[in-house]
Amino acid sequence: MSGSAGAVADRLRLILAEVAGRPEFACLPDETALFGSGAGLDSLTGTLLLRRIQREFGVDVAAEDMNLDALETLGTLAAFVAERS
Amino acid sequence: MIKCVVWDIDNTLLDGVFLESPGQLPAPDAALLAAARELSERGILHALASRNPPEAARYVQQATGLQFAAAELGWDSKADAVGRIAASLEIAADAIAFVDDDMLERAEVAAALPEVLVLSPEDAAQAPDWPDFSPPVLTDEGRRRGEMYQARLRRQAEAASFGGSREEFLRHAGTRISIAPARLQDIPRLHELSVRTHQLNSGGAALTEDDLRALLSSPAEKVVTVALADDFGDDGLVGGAVIDRNGPGPWLVPVVMMSCRALGRGVLDALLAWICRAAAADGASSLAVPCLVTGRNVPMRLALAAAGLRADPGEVSPDGRAVFSRSLDGPLPRLPPFLSVPGGPA
Repeated sequence: MSGSAGAVADRLRLILAEVAGRPEFACLPDETALFGSGAGLDSLTGTLLLRRIQREFGVDVAAEDMNLDALETLGTLAAFVAERS
Repeated sequence: MIKCVVWDIDNTLLDGVFLESPGQLPAPDAALLAAARELSERGILHALASRNPPEAARYVQQATGLQFAAAELGWDSKADAVGRIAASLEIAADAIAFVDDDMLERAEVAAALPEVLVLSPEDAAQAPDWPDFSPPVLTDEGRRRGEMYQARLRRQAEAASFGGSREEFLRHAGTRISIAPARLQDIPRLHELSVRTHQLNSGGAALTEDDLRALLSSPAEKVVTVALADDFGDDGLVGGAVIDRNGPGPWLVPVVMMSCRALGRGVLDALLAWICRAAAADGASSLAVPCLVTGRNVPMRLALAAAGLRADPGEVSPDGRAVFSRSLDGPLPRLPPFLSVPGGPA
């Protein structure tokens, strides 16, 4: 992962910890699945996360990725955002 | 259609100025109070935006007997206050009316939030006669909407101080989700949901009561309702789905809809998990949910993705619909522990 994707990942961890109300997510490994048993992202937390990404990075993930596959793991999301911001 | 009226206090809801009448506080304005009560009966919410200390909100609540879903008391701009109320209630600006006796306040809100319906107190007294304030159907959920928003404020306050995951909080709050076959008496509420839901609606089309009656009597289709309650309050029917059981092939789900009040309470994920499992139990090979792809229904697409459904980005119909689908072999999404399916199929 390039340096910039790494920096994006660090920022995303903090945003996710905040919107999910789970401070421990600040240390979430890149390969953690965001949906399901990983971070347990639900539609509310996911929407808040995407809104923050749009505001902070100017990347509208939902508009560019119909299936939201970018949200597979924290690492894939960071790479998606870093490539476009 | 207006869902919430944001009221000024001084010389609007009250016949006088709160801070200038410490000895004898001003009484509510009779004409506006009558209009506001009529709007409550129709399921329209009330909120306060006033340049006053917080005590003014308590006094107005007690003097009018109205329930306020939100109150912004302070000295900053009314446009910001109305914006914060819209955000906290998750109501779009075009479903908000703002009533103030001060022409400059009305002008400021109208300039900053052009979608908001801005009214003088004289106009607001006539509001119950206007179509914007007359919902086509009035359901039990509609009448109790004010009460449900109060329960929601208490739930949010407790969630904010609760450590742990959202699922742990939902369990702590005594969340109860039930999925059941739709009954004839559910038709008005299902119609209302189809009209009012946008962020959590896959089909994006309104279902008339006649459409719903036809679906309920059709052997090829199944309509389910989703009810939500917890220790803070009973939200009644918050969602539904229409399932087209097309023999042993794929299960087609033309409509999934959920009130945005239910967002963050595990209901949509529970419904989709249940649909996956019911389809698999029925012998279906796959599940298909056609969904309008818009910027507004991102929460619906997130729930579809979380339940393992994907669409072919090259196959979006001219009206913006894509078919999200998944195979039903292999692991299926987990049902939350607080879901019950009383007498439900599959």
